[in-house]
Amino acid sequence: MMRKIAKPISFFLILPFLLMGFSISRAQAAMVGTEAVLNPAPNGETVRVRLSNFLDRQDVQAILQSQGISPREAKARIACLSDSEVAHMAAVMDRLPAGGGGVGVLIGAALFVFIVLLITDILGFTHVFPFVYHHRS
Amino acid sequence: MFSHSSIITGVSWKRAHRKVAPLLYGLVLSSLGLLSAGCAGPQLGEIRRQMEGLPSRVQLKTVPFYPQKAYQCGPAALAMTLTWSGLPRKPETLVPEVYSPELKGSLQPALIGAARRLGRLAYPISGMNVLLREVASGRPVIVLLNLGLSWYPEWHYAVVVGYDLSEGYVELHSGKTARELLPFRVFGNTWARSDYWGLLVLSPRDLPATARENPYLQAVLGLEKARQWGAAVEGYETALRRWPGSLGALMGLGNSLYGLGKLKRAETAFREASRLHPASGAAFNNLAQVLWEEGRQEEALRAVQRAVALGGPQATIYGDTLKEIESGKP
Repeated sequence: MMRKIAKPISFFLILPFLLMGFSISRAQAAMVGTEAVLNPAPNGETVRVRLSNFLDRQDVQAILQSQGISPREAKARIACLSDSEVAHMAAVMDRLPAGGGGVGVLIGAALFVFIVLLITDILGFTHVFPFVYHHRS
Repeated sequence: MFSHSSIITGVSWKRAHRKVAPLLYGLVLSSLGLLSAGCAGPQLGEIRRQMEGLPSRVQLKTVPFYPQKAYQCGPAALAMTLTWSGLPRKPETLVPEVYSPELKGSLQPALIGAARRLGRLAYPISGMNVLLREVASGRPVIVLLNLGLSWYPEWHYAVVVGYDLSEGYVELHSGKTARELLPFRVFGNTWARSDYWGLLVLSPRDLPATARENPYLQAVLGLEKARQWGAAVEGYETALRRWPGSLGALMGLGNSLYGLGKLKRAETAFREASRLHPASGAAFNNLAQVLWEEGRQEEALRAVQRAVALGGPQATIYGDTLKEIESGKP
């Protein structure tokens, strides 16, 4: 019984400390960051915090790991982006393309897709198959 | 007719092509009419007109080629541009930072982040016009192509290492092929699906040919975010050569020097910022903070009082600085 209650309670006890720790590290020197000068809109930091909090959620971490992305690495990447890039990322995260390349992606795909790609390849809309010769235009 | 596997070989394909071509094209035109309208890339004539004054043929010879392994075109493309920029790297060493195994690919922010963590300036670009100008100025560009279709994407990174306007092709280090020649039409169509996304990876002493002030400063800011203070200092200095007196560049320079612990030089940058931009509270605030840490309390107090008087969205920080300085001990 005690254990069951302890978990959520400890979470609420820890939360303010986490938030405090964050604000302390932000204010160690009373300097105005370059970011605030370049991007006067104040919501950059909140987007970053939201994104960071999002990454901290256990269900999200499970998904990240299933995609082969370590949550630490994900956070490190976010740390390297500017506010406007982070905001952009938050908006498009789910539809970000990952460049892979290679014809191997076709394995398991339906024959219909193969045919359509072949056709679009010939017409120069796509360039999936190296054996299709493109006329220069 | 398509289930027959022999169409994959070139010779028999050509034979089959002659027979089925009219049928195919008919099918395509009727069923994919929408698609062709949506994917119309830039026309070569238009590109030629816009590119007047640029050399008609460019071939970058100093960009190394690293063939990609499996799906790892991201690490390969990044390694080629890093090495060209004077920071030799092999694709294998970049895989942990750049490549997501389950996605079988690399996300754009991963490429940007990896470059910045290595102290390289990652500057995203967009559009054919900008791409060709950068290549003409001698800089290779990473491009994100969708070799498939919007609803069946096959994303791929390649490095543009040349072009020929009269012959009408773009030259790419792509996949396992060095110097692949892709007609403008095909390149334009496959590139359009990433909204013409491109990336320059440069030494922070280098300025893109098409650089604009704010995007460039954002890119240098990325170096600051990656705590690459030295590279950030170089980037802001490069920006100041191009845009003398830029407030963002002066503040960034000061902050990066402060990050390096070089208070004297940081002071100079903030002083210059406050002189050229006397309405910037941030410049006076940061000058005050540095002066205070240098033990010059009176000067610091005067500077921070200016900041407090100016006010603005950062006013609470100015207030903190004032309190700190009035408390008397650095």
